[in-house]
Amino acid sequence: MESPLHHFELHPLVEINFLGLDLSINKAILAMWAGMAIVFFLFKAAGRKEGSLIPGKLQSVLEVSLEFIRGMVEEFIGKEEGKKYFSFIATVFFFILASNLIGLVPGSYTITSQLVVTGAFAICIFIMTLVIGFTRHGGHFFSILVPPGVPKIMVPLMVPIEIISMIARPISLSVRLFANMTAGHTVLAVLFGLAMSASLALGWMPFAFTIVINGLEIAIAFIQAYIFTTLTCVYIGDVINLH
Amino acid sequence: MPQFEQVGVFSSLIFWSLVSFAILFILLKKYAFPPILEALEERESKIRTDISSAEQLREEGQKLKVELEAELKKAHEKANTIVQLAHDEAKKNQEKLLQETQSKIKQMQLEAENEIKGSRNKLFSEIRGYAAELTVASAEKFLKKRLDDKASQDLINESIDEVIQSMEQSAN
Repeated sequence: MESPLHHFELHPLVEINFLGLDLSINKAILAMWAGMAIVFFLFKAAGRKEGSLIPGKLQSVLEVSLEFIRGMVEEFIGKEEGKKYFSFIATVFFFILASNLIGLVPGSYTITSQLVVTGAFAICIFIMTLVIGFTRHGGHFFSILVPPGVPKIMVPLMVPIEIISMIARPISLSVRLFANMTAGHTVLAVLFGLAMSASLALGWMPFAFTIVINGLEIAIAFIQAYIFTTLTCVYIGDVINLH
Repeated sequence: MPQFEQVGVFSSLIFWSLVSFAILFILLKKYAFPPILEALEERESKIRTDISSAEQLREEGQKLKVELEAELKKAHEKANTIVQLAHDEAKKNQEKLLQETQSKIKQMQLEAENEIKGSRNKLFSEIRGYAAELTVASAEKFLKKRLDDKASQDLINESIDEVIQSMEQSAN
């Protein structure tokens, strides 16, 4: 039986080398592009009928999702401040959602099951929050390391704890998404492997499970995209509002 | 796990995912989100203005209704007054007419009675005259020619005929 982790392996399809860096196009990148293209054209198609006050079905769905994200942004970042970050947050949500969902297509690849990718996003968001914090508050930004109402004597203890919790944010953010995606796909791969290797009399059982797990995976794709986006909002909101 | 072992693909994965994300972000921000957000905002503002204008119209309608009701009430009162006045006038006229007619009838009755009385008196006096004349004439004749019963009977008849004739003549 083939290893259930085998399908996470990537092989270059188009070899590109730039300044000694390997920038080859592989299956994961193609799948990601496909997801991105779907997201972009869905939005384009929905927004095509400009000035139409009565939305179509697609437009309604996308409007509801954008309203949902807007509500999230307004709740965690603020009504006025949130407007600046809305497009970014919405892109994060749809990018991750599309990447998660496109990976469920057989033969495709979930780029969010690569820790380096989720890590890169998490670190970028972390750096972004630091930049926002310092540009908005300057030196006062360090007060984020001291929660309000902490006695002065506790400050030397609190600061390292807060620093650790800050650093833990991108790690937890990236590992959560990566682990969920990897685990789901591994379970599916194991079940498929069982279904393929067992006889038909027994093989239908793991196959039936794959159907259930697939449904679950769709839900997880949404939930993980939502969690990643919400936490991004929370982190940005934290550095803007400083507790 | 390949995700940790295939170190060679990391650079391309990181590079392309970040670049792709940036491109998607720019594309969505520039072309995809604005029309939908505008439509949302437009709809929101339209609903808001529609509701407020509907509210305004409702208030105006309410005001108009109150005004119209007051006007209608006034008109009703006016009409009632007019009807009452006409009613009173008609009653007055009726009473006046009744009174006039009654007095006229009374007068006419009186006149008729008077006339009847006059005619009766005249007739009585005429009858009396004729009766006296008849008595005188019959007595005269009776006295003059009381020869036999037959002759006297004829005389009486003759005098009666004369009286009747004279009455008829006077009547003519």
